[in-house]
Amino acid sequence: MPLWRRKSFWLALSVSWLLLILLGVFPLRLAVPPGPLPGCSQGWPRWLDAAFLQSFSQSETLPKDAPQLSQAPRGSSCTWGACFDTSKCKGNALKIFAHSPAGTTTEAHRRILDSLEGSRYYALSPTEACLHLFLPSQDHTCGPLPPYWNGGRNHLVLSLYPAPCTRLGQAMVAEASPSLDIFRPGFDVALPYLPEAHPLQGGAPGQLQQHSPQPGATLLAVAEEKGRWRITDTHASTCPWGKHCEQDPGLHQTHPGETLPNATFCLIPGHRSAASSLLQALQAGCIPVLLSPRWELPFSEVIDWTKAAIIADERLPLQVLTALRDMLPSKILSLRQQTQFLWTAYFSSVEKVIHTTLEIIQDRIWGTSAHPSLMWNSPPGALLALPTFSTSLKDFPFYHLQQGSSPESSFSALIWVGVSSEPLLKLIQVVAGSRYCAQILILWSSEKPPPDRWPETTVPLTVIEGRRKASDRFFPYGDISTNVILSLDAHSTLSTSEVDFAFVVWQSFPERMVGFLTQNHFWDEARGAWGYSTEMANEFSMVLTTAVFYHRYYHTLFTHSLPKALRTMADDTPTCVDILMNFLVATVTKLPPIKVPYGRQHQEAVPLAAEGPGPVPEPQPLAQDCFSRVAAGFGHMPLVSSRVRLEPVLFKDPVSVQRKKYRSLEKP
Amino acid sequence: MCASVKYNIRGPALIPRMKTKHRFYYVTLFSIVLLGLIATGVFQFWPHSIESSGDGGVEKRSIKEVPVVRLPAASPIPERGDLSCRMHTCFDVYRCGFNPKNKIKVYIYPLKKYVDDAGVPVSSTISREYNELLAAISDSDYYTDDISRACLFVPSIDVLNQSPLRIKETAQALAQLSRWDRGTNHLLFNMLPGGPPDYNTALDVPRDRALLAGGGFSTWTYRQGYDVSIPVFSPLSTEVALPEKAPGPRRYFLLSSQMAIHPEYREDLEALQAKHRESVLVLDKCTNLSEGVLSVRKRCHQHQVFDYPQVLQEATFCVVLRGARLGQAVLSDVLQAGCVPVVIADSYILPFSEVLDWKRASVVVPEEKMSDMYSILQNIPQRQIEEMQRQICFSSNLQEKRTFDVATGIIFGIARWFWEAYFQSIKAIALATLQIINDRIYPYAAISYEEWNDPPTVKWTSVSNPLFLPLIPPQSQGFTAIVLTYDRVESLFRVITEVSKVPSLSKLLVVWNNQNKNPPEESLWPKIRVPLKVVRTAENKLSNRFFPYDEIETEAVLAIDDDIIMLTSDELQFGYEVWREFPDRLVGYPGRLHLWDHEMNKWKYESEWTNEVSMVLTGAAFYHKYFNYLYTYKMPGDIKNWVDAHMNCEDIAMNFLVANVTGKAVIKVTPRKKFKCPECTAIDGLSLDQTHMVERSECINKFASVFGTMPLKVVEHRADPVLYKDDFPEKLKSFPNIGSL
Repeated sequence: MPLWRRKSFWLALSVSWLLLILLGVFPLRLAVPPGPLPGCSQGWPRWLDAAFLQSFSQSETLPKDAPQLSQAPRGSSCTWGACFDTSKCKGNALKIFAHSPAGTTTEAHRRILDSLEGSRYYALSPTEACLHLFLPSQDHTCGPLPPYWNGGRNHLVLSLYPAPCTRLGQAMVAEASPSLDIFRPGFDVALPYLPEAHPLQGGAPGQLQQHSPQPGATLLAVAEEKGRWRITDTHASTCPWGKHCEQDPGLHQTHPGETLPNATFCLIPGHRSAASSLLQALQAGCIPVLLSPRWELPFSEVIDWTKAAIIADERLPLQVLTALRDMLPSKILSLRQQTQFLWTAYFSSVEKVIHTTLEIIQDRIWGTSAHPSLMWNSPPGALLALPTFSTSLKDFPFYHLQQGSSPESSFSALIWVGVSSEPLLKLIQVVAGSRYCAQILILWSSEKPPPDRWPETTVPLTVIEGRRKASDRFFPYGDISTNVILSLDAHSTLSTSEVDFAFVVWQSFPERMVGFLTQNHFWDEARGAWGYSTEMANEFSMVLTTAVFYHRYYHTLFTHSLPKALRTMADDTPTCVDILMNFLVATVTKLPPIKVPYGRQHQEAVPLAAEGPGPVPEPQPLAQDCFSRVAAGFGHMPLVSSRVRLEPVLFKDPVSVQRKKYRSLEKP
Repeated sequence: MCASVKYNIRGPALIPRMKTKHRFYYVTLFSIVLLGLIATGVFQFWPHSIESSGDGGVEKRSIKEVPVVRLPAASPIPERGDLSCRMHTCFDVYRCGFNPKNKIKVYIYPLKKYVDDAGVPVSSTISREYNELLAAISDSDYYTDDISRACLFVPSIDVLNQSPLRIKETAQALAQLSRWDRGTNHLLFNMLPGGPPDYNTALDVPRDRALLAGGGFSTWTYRQGYDVSIPVFSPLSTEVALPEKAPGPRRYFLLSSQMAIHPEYREDLEALQAKHRESVLVLDKCTNLSEGVLSVRKRCHQHQVFDYPQVLQEATFCVVLRGARLGQAVLSDVLQAGCVPVVIADSYILPFSEVLDWKRASVVVPEEKMSDMYSILQNIPQRQIEEMQRQICFSSNLQEKRTFDVATGIIFGIARWFWEAYFQSIKAIALATLQIINDRIYPYAAISYEEWNDPPTVKWTSVSNPLFLPLIPPQSQGFTAIVLTYDRVESLFRVITEVSKVPSLSKLLVVWNNQNKNPPEESLWPKIRVPLKVVRTAENKLSNRFFPYDEIETEAVLAIDDDIIMLTSDELQFGYEVWREFPDRLVGYPGRLHLWDHEMNKWKYESEWTNEVSMVLTGAAFYHKYFNYLYTYKMPGDIKNWVDAHMNCEDIAMNFLVANVTGKAVIKVTPRKKFKCPECTAIDGLSLDQTHMVERSECINKFASVFGTMPLKVVEHRADPVLYKDDFPEKLKSFPNIGSL
């Protein structure tokens, strides 16, 4: 045997041996997952005699004697059931009476009282109220207790700052960022820590300009003393906060101003004094990362903060950082949007904060018919979604997507009659001709008595006697049987095709108003006020309510949520009603209305279509004045402009008219 | 193994050349080595397959054999529970290191039998339920058998029921656990706390910092955000199967089935019955049952005998009244029967209240309002109740699910769902408890409100639009145009020149999908006023068009084919304006429709002049860049690969994706014009056109089956500028050049 062969043979043999030994020793370790060797106990044993085990409640035979009714201690540990007497609230409606605060009225007190007066909860006398408001003075004494105090029962101690005195008998405490140790969940209310200059009404909208974070935006900003922010970079080696990091925190760019840098996440330390940073972050659309907060988050009873913020453990900085860096874009996207929604819905003004507080207490009184969690935590928010309208979410225009439901397929036409006029009969026929029309309601607001005979229609026709007020047309009449309303004026002219098409469009946008004639708003430099114009333009922000589709819910909202002052003004100036409704819907949707095509023949026939329900055309200056007063009443300008008109797919396309579904819209 | 086979082959090849006696010797030697190798290999892999196929690693032992631990009388006792404990003060989070799965590791102490100095057992070793509970934890992803890696420790000392326990000795047993350390990170399960006469609402065993998962907490003993409130398990859950009951009116409006009720409360209930006769039923224990009948399963009203818990299904509302303890097992039975619990137990912390929204599944009535209970319940609108019932018979038919009306409030459906998910077994209770603790430690991976509370039927039908915030992005942001191209350079350059005239264009991205050819030299490209970037792809795939390139800085993306040259600058600018008003939708130019073909019983693609639109072609469409991310990483099923393999229908896939995730229709902008799109170029050759239509129809059917539904929404409108074709001076219109052919 040649040497090389023998060599290779021995080589093969030794390699085989080596392999044998290797396989015998090492792979054993590699193959078995790290942990104890097999044979040792793995997991909880399956006992052979498990079947003979007794149930834990076996020994618990029924208690022979009657159970004790131990009465819970009161006062220091109040609960809603024990310390609030709901029977005082007639018809389950919360009415709050504000005792004039003792001593000098501070600015904060005045702002609270101002926002109360406009609300539907305001009681004029202590006898009709079931909740009494006590505003403590900011010194340690809290000031003298009000009359009717009654141990604090049915009292609300409200302070926009951390309250000077927190345990006042059986009174509920609503204070800014209460400490976790004294907060009584379900009884006290946690308020946000508002800055001094927080606006009373309206308030600045959220600063978020786009849904997703800008590429290259800083990942992290850290809240520092006095509302300052610090941008930090987030390499794993550095550690942005806390004492647990030994390394040098690395390069930091200190943000000098009080404005928030453009960052995706905002770290807020857990101590109570940092609580004021939360609102800043919310407004800026920066996702708050709260590190073991020692204070109760604002309105935590109803707001699901996990949808807008991350509440993390301050002891795990690196872990939190890694989690933030690895967060899925979908999660970041939804957190960001939720911060903005919460800001605009509940925090942007003192008024909203106060109203939210009262709404929470009202919800407790309502019990089962309170706002469902979805209403609190999705647009437009609980202040604009009244559960008195319906307990079913799909009755509202906003929740169809979440509910997987679709809007109704028929509408009610509501025709306002100011002065009886000829086109009314024609209008009824046009509307009744629509296959989506379910009923016609005539709102008779004329001095003359309504005629005895009405034209024969295929759909039921009901006559409602109005109170001859302009706001009548937006009253939630019980006779309205569908969720969709086509609001019309006696002298509106429309074709059936137009009605049909507008309704089909409305079904795609159930929360908006879908109208034919539009107006646009603008800032009038000369007058230094908001103005509007009815001229044909490339943009619009309002639709005339003399011919418009919208959801019935807005009638309820108009009647029950608008401040009384605004509604009275609308009654005095009839054109105002139109503006007011547009403002209201825009406040809810934050979006422009929808415009659909309107035949030119009508526009020429009714030159004054823009005039509203009043019998006498209002002079323009008065209407302009009304417009700026409504804008002032809302505290901000909710109207949004649009440059789009929605038309039938084949509108004025060069195809045979026979192919088109809405032919009469094509007429020149 | 492979290596040995290789040598095996080489070995015999050498053999014939050797002498016979050597040969025999070597063959033997080799055989031994070979055998050894095989044996080792088999030995290696054999036991593993056994382990993975069965529970061979789990011990089969008798409980009687567990080791005995003697507790000296003087051994330490833990402090009483610290009421101020919070996660960040009493819980050692450092033990729960970061892990990619975001799961805490739970260790279970081995079972021991504890006896005192006199050798008297401290308690019975373990109850059936606690054994089940520990087995459930052990089988879950949370379990670890490595004590040093554990974040949470579960003692095997059974404290589910306090009554049989010797409090002091049990506490001593806890204190001697190897990692006790004042109870830090230890989790105790207790369902029946307290004892006579005053029945504390939390376990009386001193437990220092240990977390307590307790049934029957009151507001005074519950440490919010630290303890976990759990249900009292009802053994009937496993014994009796109650079918889900069809909706419809139930015989009784209100029913009370509990046996041990305080006489005062029973008086109240009986007063209600006297007043409302037929609609209220108050049951009590049976006194005249014959021998051998289980008294637990029977209830009586006067002389009438009812089966329990079946009778609960006959009522709309069922009373769950506090007994000696706040937590009552009857709550579980009531939920199982789909009856709405009326909880009358002041200060009771309802099970899993940290995550479950009990407002949706129960009615809470204060004890002092018990006599008003009937009117309170009647004030719940009938409509709400009816809708709750409708929910139950919800069809799971996927094709139809979208059109169903889903109600909320749905107390019936939710009550039953709560039971199924969190009450029905010890395992469900144990896992929900661990999930709650897990969510506190890894909050960024926590389960959402909807996942906890919505029944599966609601989860299927609801759509949560990822761009839900009503927001009109500022015009200044502009859009990024993405042109997908292969080799039509001339046409591409024309498209670039045309698109660059659009005022709001902020960047142009050319996706060069041709790997065999280099893009033209830089100097040859048209000079435009915005940055132009060319991305070369690794493979010629259609999905490259929808890749979330880092170069895309704007939210708005215009996808445009390299042959779309007929769109005017006004039309494109207007398209962008429309997108700003509808940023969550696909906003495109050529529109298409899907139709149900009744003859073929399947979906059909339609590109004719129709009055309806359900898709827009992405040969020219604006959309939010987030949809690129969704298309690339979250496209359901195999659609993405399927599209790349078939080189077709990427646009239909995008339409499906966006409609499915937003629940909204597309927006077609501007009037119809002749487009150089696949269908249009093929118009001359009719057969080609037909093949194309068949392929496209196939895509729709394929996608609908993958999505499990038809997400596309049909609408009858398109978008035009406000003054389109209106009698108005053209010069004053914002977008005059719309619709020119």
